[in-house]
Amino acid sequence: MYIGTENLSHIYMPGTPYATKALDEVSFSVGEGDFALLIGPSGSGKSTLIQHLNGLLKPTGGRVVFEDLELGAENVDLLSLRKRVGLVFQMAEEHFFSETVYDEVAFAPRNLGLEEDLVEQNVRSALENVGLDWQEVCHRHPFQLSSGQKRLVALAAVLSIKPEVLILDEPTAGLDPGGRLHLFDLLRMLNQQTGLTVLVCTHHMDEVAALADKVLVLNRGKVVMAGPAPDIFARRQELNDLGLSLPEITEVMHCLAKKGLPARTDIYTLEQARAEINSLKRRLKK
Amino acid sequence: MNPLIEVANLSYSYRAGSGNEVAALKDITMKVFEGELLAITGRNGSGKSTLARHFNCLLTPVSGSVEVDGLSVSDKCNVASIRRQVGMVFQNPDNQLVSSIVEEDIAFGPENLGLPAEEIRRRVDWALKTLNLKNLQYESLNQLSEGQKQLVAIAGVLAMKPRCIVLDEPTAHLDPRSRREVIKNALRLNREEGITIVLLTHFMEEVTHCDRMIVMDMGEIKMEGSPREVFDSEEKIINLGLDFPVSAKLAEGLRKQGIRIPRKTINAEELIKSLCQLK
Repeated sequence: MYIGTENLSHIYMPGTPYATKALDEVSFSVGEGDFALLIGPSGSGKSTLIQHLNGLLKPTGGRVVFEDLELGAENVDLLSLRKRVGLVFQMAEEHFFSETVYDEVAFAPRNLGLEEDLVEQNVRSALENVGLDWQEVCHRHPFQLSSGQKRLVALAAVLSIKPEVLILDEPTAGLDPGGRLHLFDLLRMLNQQTGLTVLVCTHHMDEVAALADKVLVLNRGKVVMAGPAPDIFARRQELNDLGLSLPEITEVMHCLAKKGLPARTDIYTLEQARAEINSLKRRLKK
Repeated sequence: MNPLIEVANLSYSYRAGSGNEVAALKDITMKVFEGELLAITGRNGSGKSTLARHFNCLLTPVSGSVEVDGLSVSDKCNVASIRRQVGMVFQNPDNQLVSSIVEEDIAFGPENLGLPAEEIRRRVDWALKTLNLKNLQYESLNQLSEGQKQLVAIAGVLAMKPRCIVLDEPTAHLDPRSRREVIKNALRLNREEGITIVLLTHFMEEVTHCDRMIVMDMGEIKMEGSPREVFDSEEKIINLGLDFPVSAKLAEGLRKQGIRIPRKTINAEELIKSLCQLK
């Protein structure tokens, strides 16, 4: 296993009348270099799960595994886990606290005790990796940036530790369509060009369905589906019953199939849909 | 239709007069008509929320004027009366829920209007029923999902019996089912209760259900019209930081390839209908 969990359980406020089982024997794994998607209705345990993956929460039962590292209820080596697994919070820019973009992005590598010249190198490459002009932004106050740019700085602030696994919790919430596309493009590029393993938690299927290698579906703290993206998206009814949706393109193809057209439904992008409808037209002519 | 809100030459700057002022709205003139469903969209920082916050006196113009049913938002005497007519629902429901129990939270607005107890009861029951929240009436707010909380926030505004509800990106944090629920309810309040709705959103699919839309950028109104009129030039929309609805993109691509689909097909329902003609 590269990164994942084995029978991971988490109970909030254990031993009180408010005890809530947020994760119930969750086992899953993501392979090195994968682009994985974590989906589920609100309250299904997604955020609880990913907070375990870099040690922000400790398991009540079971364990978290990352290569040779292991995080259980007892044995914990948080620092070495956090150096290698980066987590970008939901609305991460709300947690900014530095006076300049540079200090914000430099916080983590400095915290890890890197030499200042190495810190600078990391900050620079992190800002460049997210497509920001590093010289232009690094002396600005983070609050002077647009929402889209702030979100990119938040991402850079995690990339600056050069993580091997990048986990993002709703990275596009509140962003405009241009910002959403840019962010997902960036993640795809980081994944494909640098081999970074990516795990994204999102409600926006339209942008990510075509990127994902693997999908994990949570409901009420349990894994209800896991597997290659096409296998999961083929289970439309079950996903709908959970209150989840397919990409709009896929939904259109399903509706056509339901109306009796022999359309394929494993379609996740505009290009695929265009090609399939053209071929459908030819097939129907014959 | 009569204009309910009239904005004339409105300009607004944050930190006005401080030396590092930021012009957020530049000479905006627009109207919100009684009974319509208006979408305001535009990239992050384009001025949507700043504009909408003038509709119920959360902000007042630096220059120009905003009138709600003839009352100026700049006159402090009008604040209470305007807020009774125009209610606001924010992106994050936690920012506007004040009580711990659902029905108490919904009662907060009408209580503040100083209404008699039986009228408060009537309005709370009506709001609960209208938004199908009856089964959550006595629930504790911290037990609800984000989507349910957003509906309670809308119910709280609804119980004030406003003529207009402004929804500021109400679905940004919601899962797909809750998103559909919130939008479906907003449409219903508009169609069945006749409430004017102003919807600020980044989701183009939501926009296609509105009567009229406004696209903002850099504090100015760049496009205005029915969704069908505005979603005419993909290039223009993309340059404004937005996107075409997915179905509109597919429809346009197929049309160019010679498949018979009417121009200006903007949503999935219309596209599916045309494609079924292939049979």
